[in-house]
Amino acid sequence: MKILTTVKKVVDVELTIRVESAAIVEEGLQYVMNAWDENAVEASVQLKENNGAETTLVSIGGDDDNTQIIRRGFAMGIDNGIQIDDPLLAGADSFVLARVLQKVYEKGSYDLVITGKQAQDTDNGQTGIILAENLEIPCVSNVVAIDVIDDELLKVTRLGDGGKEIVELKLPAVVTVSDSINEPRLPQMRGLMMAKKKKIEVMDLAALGTSFEEVGGSDNRSEILEFSRSQAREAGKKYEGDAAEITAQVVGLLVNEAKVL
Amino acid sequence: MAKVLVIADIKRGEVKRSTAELLAKARSIGAETAAVAIGNNLEALIPSLVSGGSDSQYIADDPGLELFSAGPYATCVVDAASQFGADQIWFASTENSKAVAPKVAARLGVACATDITDVAYTGDNIEITRPAIANKVIQRVKINSEKLVAVVRAGAFKMTDESTAGSENVIRLSAPPTDLGAVVKELIADASGEIDLGDAAIVVSVGRGVKDQKGIDLVKGLADDLGAGFGTSRAMVDSGLMEHNKQVGQTGKIVAPKLYISVGISGAIQHLSGMTGSQVILAVNNDPEAPIFNVADYGIVGDLFEVVPILRQQIKSIQR
Repeated sequence: MKILTTVKKVVDVELTIRVESAAIVEEGLQYVMNAWDENAVEASVQLKENNGAETTLVSIGGDDDNTQIIRRGFAMGIDNGIQIDDPLLAGADSFVLARVLQKVYEKGSYDLVITGKQAQDTDNGQTGIILAENLEIPCVSNVVAIDVIDDELLKVTRLGDGGKEIVELKLPAVVTVSDSINEPRLPQMRGLMMAKKKKIEVMDLAALGTSFEEVGGSDNRSEILEFSRSQAREAGKKYEGDAAEITAQVVGLLVNEAKVL
Repeated sequence: MAKVLVIADIKRGEVKRSTAELLAKARSIGAETAAVAIGNNLEALIPSLVSGGSDSQYIADDPGLELFSAGPYATCVVDAASQFGADQIWFASTENSKAVAPKVAARLGVACATDITDVAYTGDNIEITRPAIANKVIQRVKINSEKLVAVVRAGAFKMTDESTAGSENVIRLSAPPTDLGAVVKELIADASGEIDLGDAAIVVSVGRGVKDQKGIDLVKGLADDLGAGFGTSRAMVDSGLMEHNKQVGQTGKIVAPKLYISVGISGAIQHLSGMTGSQVILAVNNDPEAPIFNVADYGIVGDLFEVVPILRQQIKSIQR
């Protein structure tokens, strides 16, 4: 089984995000692998360890942060790395990225694509699903377990609105994973050392056998006009002291001041 | 006049309030409205789609649609959207919506926006507003395609008093083919009879501070007293103490109740982004420095095992 794992570079959401002149201030930001994509990498590596799958990781973006993210994937156990480095793709929307990933998929004859259910920066949760739709292959989202039945069939568990759905998924297919699927391993020192020596296949759109026009790059279906800061909630009042006294006081406020009880 | 198609949010045989909220918003921007309901045995739901504010009702009612499957559901939505001539297709934010919406957009070749909090026309262009980066920023986004598929964040569109009923005009959709590539074999349903987190006027959530099942039962008692939805944090789900479907947060449920009571939750950013849309937040935690207090309107610093029983007592006395 050949697995393609798609990972995205995202801004570290734990840090303070500053907005000036309707844009996010780049200074001071740090970038990391999208947390849900770490779950996708872990799921892929487990399929390698338990079922002998060959794993390839792809990330779109040419800068050093992306290179480091791919190396982190190596250190976690991924076999091969592809970096799509093309300045034309800055600002690409989910549909364009899905077309680029489609080209990567078609070049490698993969059986399974695994990606995180959404990215921490945009929270869109679209690219994997659109990729499957474009490829006309089945897709299951928000997956919390993957079991291999044979070379052509998986049994996956999806967390849906009504409960856990047990789905038989014919390969090739796309799976987007929930953060509940596993606990991503931390790269070991030895793995990090070896990851530095591994070769990453770097390609631009031409090397990928496509063009900006073909991936729909010039007709982004949406564009961000501006950013603003969220209206942060202000901290209210904290009550400390005798439990009975302060609890009574707060319940009184919920009734009379907030009027929610 | 713009045409808005709203996908009915149906759970356990009922149309959720969010459906009427989306229809009301569509009417408030002067749109002609339609609803599409997908599932099995839907006949009894049609009146609530009409009273909720839809002018026509597209019904895909088939035993094959009993279990959710994103592919066939998307086929029904595309069918209804084409027959209606929808300019915009709106889903309430559920896990299933998030699976279907991008498929519909891909098939129609139009834009898809998830987790939106507002939508408006500026001239002929559609613009939407949505939070991003764990709620830290708000994006204003211009839609370049003429049509839009959108998933609306919970609580974003409030019902107004003027919300009016629609009219009955039922159109039956033919059953879509099943997805042979992804066959849903079984649904292990969540416990029934529980209050849906998305619908609850009050949500009580429990975190690691409760330590064990006994602590959970204590806080669950508070939720039951209030007729509240019962939620939790990621840490509790990961430790196996609470079920996945109870998780409030960025990857779990996003809730916006009238009152959110957080008990023993420290307030990781992942959790906060799922509940800071609540009208009023009460937090109980023994650590005065817990980040949850930064977003709470009222904070009680204390041992939850001491505070919760008093809280229950106090609430019971005002309920009498």
